[in-house]
Amino acid sequence: MILDIQTWVHVAAFVGAGLSIGLGATGAAVGEGYTAAKANFAISRKPEMAGDIFKTMLVGQAVAESASIFALVIAMILLFTEFSADSCIIIPVLLASGLCMGFGAIGSGIGAGYPAGAACEGMARQPAMSGRLTTNMLIGSAVCQTTSIYALVTSLILIYLDFSVRPLSPTWAAVMGAGFASGIGAIGSGIGEGLVAESACAGIARQPSTAAPVTNMMLLGQAVTETTAIYGLLVSFIMMFKVFPASDSIASSMALLGAGLCMGIGALGPGIGEGITARGAVKWIARNESSSASTIRVMLVGQAVSESTGIYALVISLVLIFVI
Amino acid sequence: MEELGKIHQLIIPFHGHNLTFNLEAILMMWIVIFLLLLFGFLATRKKGILPEPLQVLGELFVVQFYDLTEDTLGKELSKTYAPLICALFMFLMISNWLGIIPHLDEPTKDLNTPLSLGLMGFCIAHYSGIRAKGIKKYISGYFEPIFFMMPLNLIGELAKVVSISFRLFGNIMGGSIIILVVSYLTFSIVTPPFLNAFFGLFVGTIQAFVFTMLTVVYISVQVK
Repeated sequence: MILDIQTWVHVAAFVGAGLSIGLGATGAAVGEGYTAAKANFAISRKPEMAGDIFKTMLVGQAVAESASIFALVIAMILLFTEFSADSCIIIPVLLASGLCMGFGAIGSGIGAGYPAGAACEGMARQPAMSGRLTTNMLIGSAVCQTTSIYALVTSLILIYLDFSVRPLSPTWAAVMGAGFASGIGAIGSGIGEGLVAESACAGIARQPSTAAPVTNMMLLGQAVTETTAIYGLLVSFIMMFKVFPASDSIASSMALLGAGLCMGIGALGPGIGEGITARGAVKWIARNESSSASTIRVMLVGQAVSESTGIYALVISLVLIFVI
Repeated sequence: MEELGKIHQLIIPFHGHNLTFNLEAILMMWIVIFLLLLFGFLATRKKGILPEPLQVLGELFVVQFYDLTEDTLGKELSKTYAPLICALFMFLMISNWLGIIPHLDEPTKDLNTPLSLGLMGFCIAHYSGIRAKGIKKYISGYFEPIFFMMPLNLIGELAKVVSISFRLFGNIMGGSIIILVVSYLTFSIVTPPFLNAFFGLFVGTIQAFVFTMLTVVYISVQVK
């Protein structure tokens, strides 16, 4: 058995491809199952709307699946591109890009299933609002996909940026860290944004006259929910584009790896938590529109408090990158 | 794939410092400003009770954003801030749409543009907060709920600027990278237009709206 660099590059590309689509398939499958369950419920409630509900279910599932299609694209690129083997750095790069996209697709896949399910249910409840519900579902799940788009961007930059001139020793850790920060960081926000969009669809079906403020509120809540995923993207951009000086000590590599893991895992909780906050706010605006100004304020303050743990993670990972 | 992450810069040495200008972003921003001025001129050229199509479009923007600001800020303040909010939205929307024209780039693809707009919103929000509440109450807001939370409150305020600008930058830049890579991989003329429509028109409009909304809300949090 010959184990030269070329072999290891192949190994990394294959493992990366497997991880990418393997992890990436889980989220979308869960989300689509949820949508289908709600569609069943809706059809049994209002059999005469079966055609419309079925169509909405398929459209919603197609949107939910796009996150795992991103993972498939990355897996294909990893499988079918011939990577040059003049530097060992390509090995962690390929692994990191697969892991990043795989993790990043989980949240959006699960999240995008929620609004689709709520839209199916809403159509059974309020058939007159079908058009508005479909629009709201599409907007909500498109915003939900942004976190997986961040992960996709990080993976593509990892694959196509030239790292071979940089010193191997801390760069491998920076690359892996960038993958973790952007990938794992996208999970929580993806799920959270889905929860917000779900309650917006449910609210529109419940109270059609509040459709416009509910959609605005949904976008606002989703935008704030996404913040921690953006911190993940920020940290991974810093780690990809900053050139770290060569160092033999294992400590500096571990600091970078730790920074990525810290930001990634630290973003999980705030993403879901802020999503739950915004879900409640959107739900109650649909019931009582007159209190929307104070509801927005309480939602933002609540989300800011819930996000503070994500900010702690950001501060620690920036300290790990720049100070240590 | 060499275009990835490449920026055309003009670097001028100035008293031992380097002044860096990102030429592309500046040029594109002037194009956007020119388009906005053109739109404003054409929409108001023949004002009448029976409006022309462009006048209707202009009125639609103005009415929508006056209403939106009034909902969040109240009647008094909306008179001050609604013109700014309306202009911000139109600027961002045309900026994000500019990339669908070949050889033109979105100015928002350069981090400097969203960051400066975010900083502008931050300064306006805090200025209006100080004006509405008075300096004493404004500063004491940072020491809530307990005095040693002050550094964290400060970081939280600064993180708002980072998140609002990176959200816009990440979406627009991400879209353009995806279009670039897909065009490079497929060489097709079928897929890139659809991607342009999704990332340019759809995501661009949503992100412009989100940025504008967040600016209004940041002002309202400071004022109340």
